[in-house]
Amino acid sequence: MAKRYDAIVIGAGHNGLVAAAYLAKAGRRVLVLERRHVVGGAAVTEELYPGFKFSVCSYVVSLFRPHIIRELNLTKHGMQLIPLECSFTPHLEGPGLVRWPDPHRTRREVSRFSQKDAEIYPEFSLAMTKMGFFVKQIIDSPPPAPGSMHPSELSRLAGLVGHLRNLGPDMVELHAQLLTMSAVDFLRMWFESDALLAPMSCSGIIGTFLGVHSPGTAYVLLHHYMGEIDGAFRSWGFSKGGTGGLSIAIANAAQAYGAELKVSAPVARILVRGGRARGVVLENGDEYKADVVLSCADPRRTFITLTGEQHFDGDFLSQLRRYKYRGSSGKVNLALDRLPDFTCRPGSGPHLQGDIAVAPSLEYLERAFDEAKYGEFSRRPYLNVVIPSLVDPSVAPPGKHVMSIFVQYAPYNLKGGAETWPSRREEFGDAVVDTLAEYCPGLEESILYRQVLTPWDLEQEIGLTEGNIFQGELSLEQLLFLRPAAGWARYRTPIRNLWLCGSGAHPGGGIMGSPGELCAKALLDSREV
Amino acid sequence: MARYDVAIIGAGHNGLTAACVLAKAGRRVVVLERREVTGGMCASEEFQPGYRSSGLLHDTAQVRSAVVEALRLDQHGLDLVAPPAMLLTGADRPGVMIHPSNEATAADIAAISAHDAGRWSAYQDFIGRVRSVIEPLLNDTPPDIGAIGTLQSGSLGTLLKSAMSFQKLGRREMAEVLRVPPMCVADWLNEWFENDLLKAGLAHGALVGMWAGPWSPGTAANLLLAGCTTTSAVKGGAGALAVALERAARHHGAEIRTSTEVASVAMSGGSARGVVLATGEVIEASAVAASCDPRTLFLDLIPAGLLPVAFEHRVSVVRARGTTAKVHLALDRPLEFAAKPGERVERARTATTLDDLERAFDAVKYGRASDHPVLDIHVPSVASPAMAPDGCDSVSLLVHFAPHALTGGWTDAARAALGDAAIAALERVAPGVGKAVVGREVLTPADIAARYGASGGHIHHAEHALDQLAIRPTLDTMRYATPVANLYLCGSGSHPGGGVTCAPGALGAAAVLSRR
Repeated sequence: MAKRYDAIVIGAGHNGLVAAAYLAKAGRRVLVLERRHVVGGAAVTEELYPGFKFSVCSYVVSLFRPHIIRELNLTKHGMQLIPLECSFTPHLEGPGLVRWPDPHRTRREVSRFSQKDAEIYPEFSLAMTKMGFFVKQIIDSPPPAPGSMHPSELSRLAGLVGHLRNLGPDMVELHAQLLTMSAVDFLRMWFESDALLAPMSCSGIIGTFLGVHSPGTAYVLLHHYMGEIDGAFRSWGFSKGGTGGLSIAIANAAQAYGAELKVSAPVARILVRGGRARGVVLENGDEYKADVVLSCADPRRTFITLTGEQHFDGDFLSQLRRYKYRGSSGKVNLALDRLPDFTCRPGSGPHLQGDIAVAPSLEYLERAFDEAKYGEFSRRPYLNVVIPSLVDPSVAPPGKHVMSIFVQYAPYNLKGGAETWPSRREEFGDAVVDTLAEYCPGLEESILYRQVLTPWDLEQEIGLTEGNIFQGELSLEQLLFLRPAAGWARYRTPIRNLWLCGSGAHPGGGIMGSPGELCAKALLDSREV
Repeated sequence: MARYDVAIIGAGHNGLTAACVLAKAGRRVVVLERREVTGGMCASEEFQPGYRSSGLLHDTAQVRSAVVEALRLDQHGLDLVAPPAMLLTGADRPGVMIHPSNEATAADIAAISAHDAGRWSAYQDFIGRVRSVIEPLLNDTPPDIGAIGTLQSGSLGTLLKSAMSFQKLGRREMAEVLRVPPMCVADWLNEWFENDLLKAGLAHGALVGMWAGPWSPGTAANLLLAGCTTTSAVKGGAGALAVALERAARHHGAEIRTSTEVASVAMSGGSARGVVLATGEVIEASAVAASCDPRTLFLDLIPAGLLPVAFEHRVSVVRARGTTAKVHLALDRPLEFAAKPGERVERARTATTLDDLERAFDAVKYGRASDHPVLDIHVPSVASPAMAPDGCDSVSLLVHFAPHALTGGWTDAARAALGDAAIAALERVAPGVGKAVVGREVLTPADIAARYGASGGHIHHAEHALDQLAIRPTLDTMRYATPVANLYLCGSGSHPGGGVTCAPGALGAAAVLSRR
């Protein structure tokens, strides 16, 4: 007789693990089923080359919620964040730009390009920090339900309006601008120099199929100013042991609370009878029954692949079909024999310990986007490079290094079709290495091993539909009460007892843990488990 | 005591509308126009002997009938008619006609796509339902954001009316109304339709004056807004509207002085007391209403040092990067589209695919004018044969996209190249037209800036980006009053924005009237 569970979680991505941990902590019998042989989903560490541990996909921990760390006791279970020291933008001419945690040092760096920009930099940071509260409201609670006349909804709305009013009309205006403007237009209200605008605007495009001039990209800039709000030094950092280290810590916590975890256990489908989810069937035919099923797979995989279209009405299906994925990024991971040597700042040094952005100018970034818009990967892409082995020696043998290169743009839908990606994978990898090598000649010779992940690979290997790293674009029309579908943004789904707990639910992608946490809490509140 | 109650800067359609409203209400009004003609961007002018243009802005389908009726413009020679049918045409493809009647349009679309023909009425129905929510907001003074959430918030009636319409839509459609505006117009149209030509032609309407392509988020809002405000067009075009407004204003006693350039706003103790002309003459007025764009008003016409620094900064970051050029062509024979041989076509748009539009926009991002521009075409002589000699046509082309800040500047050679590119684009849908051109006038964004005094050569005075639609032009001026006492806005830089609507003029004038 098969064991019965209160809840089954499909997928041991960081959100699935967070959800499992909360449910287990509340005393529920939980089973987590992971398709791959490792936990973490896109937050995973793998030793792909002897001695070198790669953060295969996600490479920095951005907005992981501090209260989740506390509530799940993750530090005790091995979670350790190493802050990103700085942000380095190499140039082909001149010394490039490094932004440091020390504002005076940054000021000196920026003043090389513009005195005005250097002076206004602190003012900008202050305005952004003030707005951080707004983001916190958004990501730490379920999405609002506009049009609802329920007293609790109205009082939440009134609370938000009240907060905005207290901030003053100026800040209301700034919020409206932040939510709708392009990163470049927004930043230009403060800054003038291309050398500063280019790397700053990049944070608005990561994971999106948009350019730095596209409206709607300003909002993500705010994520970089959340640290102070959270009371932490800075919330951007490396996870010790690679990004998978974080996932393992959450998995340890979940198991300590009593959750069971099975890897190499791919779910073939969700059992639905009478409009209710009853459990899951694995690819090997094993069945597991539970009162509720949570899925941290993306909406298309959850509803179409694992559940089946026949269980949904036309309106929900049409919402699912128009929900956009179209991944735009790839990843190149390198095992290096030695540190790269940047022509503009030779030698080793603290400037290599943060992130390195190949974003020399706004035009460079926009041209990279334009290529992708018409179905080609960028020949000269935007790169976000980190060398975690500099600050975490556990991920590479002594003297050697791992380098993680996030690449944009690599459109899932290549002109010749997404399925042509495998035949172009190495060409794509070459373009990335060639681009970076312009700034640090000799890079090619130091490569011991190279892994190239295209959006196609992210879909096939990691299970991210169309290779979208956020399980669906983070555009305004797919956020809040519209994520993933109008009427179904509170983690419930049209199938009773089937809940969505991944990045395809509010507040979306990134290593926040919020969708998992909010889903688990909503489920516990519902008393349905 | 001042000689005038209100001095209005600029005799464009909004300035004239404000003049009508104020003069009709008994105010002593003077309108000061820098150019020798009235009408601003609506003015119809002879650009070649015997050939008249239809105005820089040639689409009058958004003119507010409520304003036309309130001012009894019918008594001053204005006729509202159904908007002319619009031909969507690309090279090597049959065109499709968008008619005022949905049935006729669906029948036309059926020839290129049965699927899209079936979707047309659903699309129009959706816009029709949303209209009840959006239209009140577009025809009234925007709410006071400074008083947000309090009962002092102005326009409460309008907000309630709109909110009630919103509730009536039902939960599912309410979400839809909130979902669409931030989208890119390409995505939204892809949800509705499959035919490239149809999608490209419709997307056109969302991109007029935009520093954006169809793949830029926020552009769907413009298509939705245009759809919610299209009613009827002005017979005889934009020029006829300007003439009627001028007549009505004079009829009500407004004084209109052309070739009268305002050099600055006359200030005393932080408030406006009139205007100073370029000649040095001071015109005293109890209030000043400016229909020029906000950047020109606050950064050029207010003497330096009189505005708070923070406010000046806010004005300076209002985005008004012109991307539209205008070409007027004098043809020695009728314009004939390959898609409609032998037919007279008054309105047309070129572009075969959404990517055609996007590529045309791409150039602007790098400071270039598009080599393959897309055209929004008006042939005024179709409905008003007097606009061109017998058997000839006057053609008006809005050319997308050409940046105001062209790399290398707008030299004569650059202007000529723009004109050539526009004619080449027209040639692709109307073969042989190049040989029929007997005269042309090319207005680059720089020329538009110089001729109409529009900052950045922007035909809408400020871009219709979401943030600048919601708060227009700045927080402290979005309800037409300004930080300068007695100084008001009444142009396209104010809510509800640019285009031939007359709405900002009427609402700005209402703000002036309500001050006492």
